[in-house]
Amino acid sequence: MIYIILAFITGGLVILSMILNSGLAKRIGVFQGTFINFIVGLSFISLALLTTNNSMDFSFNNLSTVPFWAYLGGAIGVLVVATTNTIIPKIPTIYSTLLIFIGQLLAASIIDYFTGHLVSKWKIIGGLFIVSGLLYNSYIDKSQKDQNQLLDLP
Amino acid sequence: MYKLSASFIGILIALMVTFNGILAKKTGDYVSILMIHIIGLIAISLILIIKNKRINLKKDIPIYFFSGGAIGVIMIFFNNISFNNLGVSLTLSLGLFGQSITAVIIDHFGLLGMSKHTFNKKKTTGFILIFIGIFIMIIGG
Repeated sequence: MIYIILAFITGGLVILSMILNSGLAKRIGVFQGTFINFIVGLSFISLALLTTNNSMDFSFNNLSTVPFWAYLGGAIGVLVVATTNTIIPKIPTIYSTLLIFIGQLLAASIIDYFTGHLVSKWKIIGGLFIVSGLLYNSYIDKSQKDQNQLLDLP
Repeated sequence: MYKLSASFIGILIALMVTFNGILAKKTGDYVSILMIHIIGLIAISLILIIKNKRINLKKDIPIYFFSGGAIGVIMIFFNNISFNNLGVSLTLSLGLFGQSITAVIIDHFGLLGMSKHTFNKKKTTGFILIFIGIFIMIIGG
């Protein structure tokens, strides 16, 4: 149960960081903002490492047992920022959330299959419910927007 | 074409959460986050150099705009824990749900300096569908 709550809270943090990051990006630029984010994050985690008595193993023997691709998460994060900033302004918001989620769900099911997490038919059915909920809400958003345009509202 | 690229972002996010989660399992929560940031910093520095961008920190930027990176650390930490216990699809679905609810609350009350968009009650149906979907995912495991 605790993990379910953690994953849910993380979603909230994503929105919070998106608002903060776009605020910073507007003032100094997207890539410069990302750079600052990594500097702040690096300082924050270094401080956490130094202040807690966490046992650290930086030995080559330990770090080399990890396949090299597992280290690429940080670089992929930067790639996500770069692609998002190029693509998202070019497609209607109605589609972006939906398409990003469909991509996530598809890749996630394949990954879960290969990493030994269970891929049951229920996960697929649940995913379809989520997609239909997103689709329904974007339809409501769209019709409200159209109505506002008719009434000449912002 | 751009629509295809949007799904590509989703695939990248799923891969990122997976790689980070595996790294956390092998090297520990703290060391993995340190590694992720060092490699991310190298990647973004390269982009800045290639694009020949300069960083100009104006004085009038509110200090809280700089906290995004710290929140990012907590996000990766929580994601890594969730990934190793729930798998990637449930972690991402729950995250999406948390995102939607937070966005609705911020929009409705116009928090954090965002413009106010009152919640359209018709959208409750969509949120119920999303909730049922997550419920099925958790119960069906």
